[in-house]
Amino acid sequence: MFVLVNGTPHPLPQSRSLAALLRSVSPPVPFAVALNEEFIPGGTYEGCLVHPNDRIDIVHPTAGG
Amino acid sequence: MGRQAIQDELILYGRRFTSRLLLGTARYDSPSLLADAIAAADPALLTVSLRRQLSGSKECGESFWNLLRETKRTLLPNTAGCMTAQEAVKTACMARELFQTNLIKLEVIGDEVSLQPDPFGLVEAANQLVKLGFQVLPYCTEDWVLCRRLMDVGCEVLMPWAAPIGTGQGPRNARALRELRERAPNIPLIVDAGIGLPSHACQVMEWGFDGVLLNTAVSRADNPVRMAGAFASAIKAGHSAFVAGPMIVQEAAVSSTPEIGRPFSTGSSTFLATAN
Repeated sequence: MFVLVNGTPHPLPQSRSLAALLRSVSPPVPFAVALNEEFIPGGTYEGCLVHPNDRIDIVHPTAGG
Repeated sequence: MGRQAIQDELILYGRRFTSRLLLGTARYDSPSLLADAIAAADPALLTVSLRRQLSGSKECGESFWNLLRETKRTLLPNTAGCMTAQEAVKTACMARELFQTNLIKLEVIGDEVSLQPDPFGLVEAANQLVKLGFQVLPYCTEDWVLCRRLMDVGCEVLMPWAAPIGTGQGPRNARALRELRERAPNIPLIVDAGIGLPSHACQVMEWGFDGVLLNTAVSRADNPVRMAGAFASAIKAGHSAFVAGPMIVQEAAVSSTPEIGRPFSTGSSTFLATAN
């Protein structure tokens, strides 16, 4: 079973928590996360469950005008 | 603090800045060029954005983040690319977490060609974001009714465009921009987008605008560092001219040199001493 992380398939973690998924992905800090296009605050990753085919967006600072 | 000092400060949501230039961080050829342009421009704020990590990009990632932190500038994240109020609100929430600031440059684009703001989505998003505690700086047009609606929902700064983003055309609708300044004398107005030359920036500052937000005009110049300095000087000059109070334009010629005492004149040559 997979989830989509920034559009790329990634194995669903056993615990199914967003925190476990992020530990597995290990994105560089700082980052912010959306699950199925809804923003997930940083302090709530542990209690947030992910499901097969969920879409996770991980974003970082970038240049902008 | 004297009157002059107060007039020379830019105050946005209670934050005080000595510079009236806001600088974008995109489209520089290298991170070091960006860092040098920031040093030359001495901007009040730096605009930034958020994206998925792009492999090989010099404009994101840890090195870009470290560069931003080293500048010690106030960051203004944007919602660039958002086409709906819902997208913009979600993006703003992610930006707040990422950059640890309530400031947000709100962009809701209504047309893919001109990148013109969507006035309806803009007001809707601004309304929601203000309620969520954001300090919203909306990228808008010079339309007075739109600006009034944005103020009504709690925006304490407005950022009308001069011309479409990245065009460098300078103020397209000077009359409407000046009327906006007259109708909204007490809210900070930052001209955002479409500025191409330092003379454009100086012009809007002479009209009484409070600041200018630039990106492409600096980053795509042949010499971005020198251009950043040129814009900084122009913005200071324009603001000083506004504070100084320009003369009133006259219809007819008025000699600046006194007529009295002119040699070879046919009238009386008696000099009337004024010192007594």
